[in-house]
Amino acid sequence: MKKYTLTRRDFLKQAAAFTAVTALTPPLLGEIPEALLAAQGEEEVAPGVPRNQCLILENPSGTVQPADDFNRWRSGYSAVWVSGLQQLALDALWYIDPDAGVDGVWDNALAAEPPIYNDDFTQMTVKLREGLYWSDGVEFSGDDLYYTVDLIKNTPGMGNQGLFESNVDHMEQPDRYTVVFYLKKPNSRFHAAFTVRWGALYIMPKHIWEQVDDPVAFTFNPPVSLGAYKLRDFDPNGKWYLWERREDWQRTSVARLGEVSVKYAMYIDPGPSDKRVLAQLAHQLDVIHDITPEGRITLARENPTSVGWFPSFPWAHPDPTLPAVIYNNEKPGLDKREVRWALTLAIDIAQVALASYRGAATISAIHVPPTGMYPQYYHEPLEPWLNDFTIKVGGEDYKPYDPTAAQRIADLARPSLGDLVPTDPAIIKQYIGAGWWKYDLQAAEQLMLDAGMRKVNGKWALPDGSPFRVPLMSMNPESNPTMNRAAAMIVENWTTFGIDTSLDSQANPWPIMSSGEYTANLAWTIETWGGHPDLFFFLQYWHSRLYVPSGAPSAGSNSMRWKNPELDRIIEGIETIAFDDPRGVELGLEFCKLAAQEMPITPLMAYNVFTTMDTTYFEGYPSIDDPYTDPVPNWGNTKYMFVKIKPKMA
Amino acid sequence: MRKFILKYLIPRIIQFLTIIFVGITVTYIIPRLAPTDPVEAQISTMMAMGSSLDPASIESMRAALTDLYGLSGSPVEQYFTFWGRLLRGDLGPSLDNFPTPVSKMIGQALPYTLRLLIPAVIISFIFGNLFGAMSSYYPKNKALKVIEVLGQVVRSIPYYIVAIVLLVTFSYFIPIFPFSGAYPIGTRPDWSSLEFILKNLEHAVLPAATLILVGFGGWFVGMKSLTSNIISEDYVVYVETAGLSKNRILIHYIIRTAILPQFTALAMVLGTVFSGALIMEVVFGYPGIGSLAIRAIYSNDYSMIMGITIYSIIGVAVAVFLMDLLYPLFDPRVRYQ
Repeated sequence: MKKYTLTRRDFLKQAAAFTAVTALTPPLLGEIPEALLAAQGEEEVAPGVPRNQCLILENPSGTVQPADDFNRWRSGYSAVWVSGLQQLALDALWYIDPDAGVDGVWDNALAAEPPIYNDDFTQMTVKLREGLYWSDGVEFSGDDLYYTVDLIKNTPGMGNQGLFESNVDHMEQPDRYTVVFYLKKPNSRFHAAFTVRWGALYIMPKHIWEQVDDPVAFTFNPPVSLGAYKLRDFDPNGKWYLWERREDWQRTSVARLGEVSVKYAMYIDPGPSDKRVLAQLAHQLDVIHDITPEGRITLARENPTSVGWFPSFPWAHPDPTLPAVIYNNEKPGLDKREVRWALTLAIDIAQVALASYRGAATISAIHVPPTGMYPQYYHEPLEPWLNDFTIKVGGEDYKPYDPTAAQRIADLARPSLGDLVPTDPAIIKQYIGAGWWKYDLQAAEQLMLDAGMRKVNGKWALPDGSPFRVPLMSMNPESNPTMNRAAAMIVENWTTFGIDTSLDSQANPWPIMSSGEYTANLAWTIETWGGHPDLFFFLQYWHSRLYVPSGAPSAGSNSMRWKNPELDRIIEGIETIAFDDPRGVELGLEFCKLAAQEMPITPLMAYNVFTTMDTTYFEGYPSIDDPYTDPVPNWGNTKYMFVKIKPKMA
Repeated sequence: MRKFILKYLIPRIIQFLTIIFVGITVTYIIPRLAPTDPVEAQISTMMAMGSSLDPASIESMRAALTDLYGLSGSPVEQYFTFWGRLLRGDLGPSLDNFPTPVSKMIGQALPYTLRLLIPAVIISFIFGNLFGAMSSYYPKNKALKVIEVLGQVVRSIPYYIVAIVLLVTFSYFIPIFPFSGAYPIGTRPDWSSLEFILKNLEHAVLPAATLILVGFGGWFVGMKSLTSNIISEDYVVYVETAGLSKNRILIHYIIRTAILPQFTALAMVLGTVFSGALIMEVVFGYPGIGSLAIRAIYSNDYSMIMGITIYSIIGVAVAVFLMDLLYPLFDPRVRYQ
């Protein structure tokens, strides 16, 4: 072997290079000094817009195409909805907060008071606030509301056209600030269309739209605003939208809740998860919508100014959405309750939580998300029932509930995340959830046998011996890595149990799910208001009168094709009482019990969104300690963040 | 000339048109075989986002979108309608970005892709081939060995990793290049402004560098293997004996002979730039054709997928056609026959 000799010149060159790298590295890798940050804060992010006055948020829908089309009312979805348009410029009659709300979960925004129904829910009266103005100086009134509904009802191609066509007989406007809807049939939830939970029907400026020949083609550019901000500029390639606080923001509906202190807001497309992390490390992105768990852990360790919904592990905001294993209840084998329960008991939730969110999950044993006010409405009242709840396994009563599940997840996450994981049982319960279903392969096996299933060559088969295949569909790793990893772990669990399964990753599984062309699927069919206990938000689709067999798109979220007379009774009960009637919670609890018994889908956890906020230039973000709204920036409800967030270097 | 037209040009024109027809027809069929359709993709996206839609709204929206998107007739009827529109130069509206015409969106994105990809491909072609030939001709040169190893190492790493490593290094640890986009956030494109053009170039450096680095290794290996036989050919030995300079022999006798298949490959690569560089555009947030394509695939936007693919098919077919016509100019041994 040739001996390596270092010449004098080589030595000098390498020594110089090493010295240069060593000298440069610490300032590059370390924290950015305060003075430098202050100087960066004075830099302009757009002409005349200093960085420290401009809150920069991620638009999770990415690049907006077409960038110049602000028609939020046309059928179909556009990324422009969440470019600040529905958060900052548009406004609706009512908002329900997915968390606690600034002043309670219900907010009368454009409306002066909650909807007023007659006794049989065939009339809904809306009384509007006075003194609110569009950004072009025209006063908002009942004319705008009347015009919006009338236009949409009579214009095929507009979203919600079917709703108004099938529900609204006619309208009356007894005075400038009152509109009465006369409905074709009783509908106790008609107001839901006007109530923002993520989005809803926003009100159009009549004085603009009445001049338009073709409302479907109209681009509403520039948008006339009813919110506290107006559009200042945007990128024709759809990468960014810059909104400026209106000079007359006091004449908008949020003004009564506090001062709108953020002068500018910019919604940008920051690229994939890794780039969002880098951008926040460099203090160039104040609000990240979502990142991978690994990205969140990096920010927790490397960037002290990054904060989340929870102050520590699991950081993420639990959206009022319930990822679940959704079974096609029409498929042979899965049409049996015992089999669905067996598959549930063959899932180790701790492993799933670790695989998907590295443990940063908020689990739920029951069929409503453990988020917002729901633990108080449903999870806590049901805990004694869950502890005593039994199913029949081999003819014997069996208690499937495991109250220690969240604690197990915390214990398993601790070795890799150390002090980031809380130890206080009460905090663990609040952050990670309560219990879940036992991981019990013995009970699962007995349930399969109870259902007449049998094992052939080590795999479970249908009673007639034909194969029982349960491929598990999921969003692919690019579109949703956490859901994909959860599905992969469940496939592993089921394989261990002897199920013939595989992971079926799809870029867009939603239409497949809707048409029922699947066997099992990890996604969600249950979303709730979050702040309000009414479950009609998703149960409206689950009544058997709307049942659509596999092969055609489901009428709504009943993609699992579940029908049950008891479920129909509960839904009919909810339909016939008022939105705020306390009996609604009782019926909701009955639904949870029924769903636990039947297990049409296996609930897993909240849809945790790793929304991460940088406190370098702004403070006052919502959190578990001040849960005034959901920080996830594509929600229309995040308009309330703008009365709480304050610039630090004003 | 008559012989050239009848025996060479016309068969190639027929081949060219057949390729385009078959390519476009296949592209028409494939998205329609997918288990999703754009109407359901739109509705399910809205529902997955969390919008409250009552069942009647969903039904009316389904009917409205089917009508608006022009998906009402049978697939065969839609196919003929499609060709009728295409022959008039109309690619129809993007289904995911309705009602914006596909041609408008492609027209907006294509210049960004071409401005970045064409220089990157040409630069990697020139340097990859030059260094590949030199490496073969000067096998003992240590610097060339290092370049070869580096080129092969980079080439073997997945593109995404190369892109992210460069991005992290030069946008975060040594922040001399921007993170994302084709120009700074907050800036409107203005091609009449020198300042904007410089900013655009600054944003293009990193994405272009990744493409050049990754492309370089391929050209390098190809050229090295092509030249490895040529350097021992009699005519090379002859000119060496004749005392010509090494550089002259390399450029005029080795590279010139070996470069021909590389030109064909270059034409193919240049043809494919019309479909963009998917991963590069996603990683660097570049507003080009690749970004459009990936969004269209996710939402099963038939019209956009068709539009982009048509550009790509025509790009490749034209490139191959032109190469067929130009090849005899590069290589006198090839005749129109």
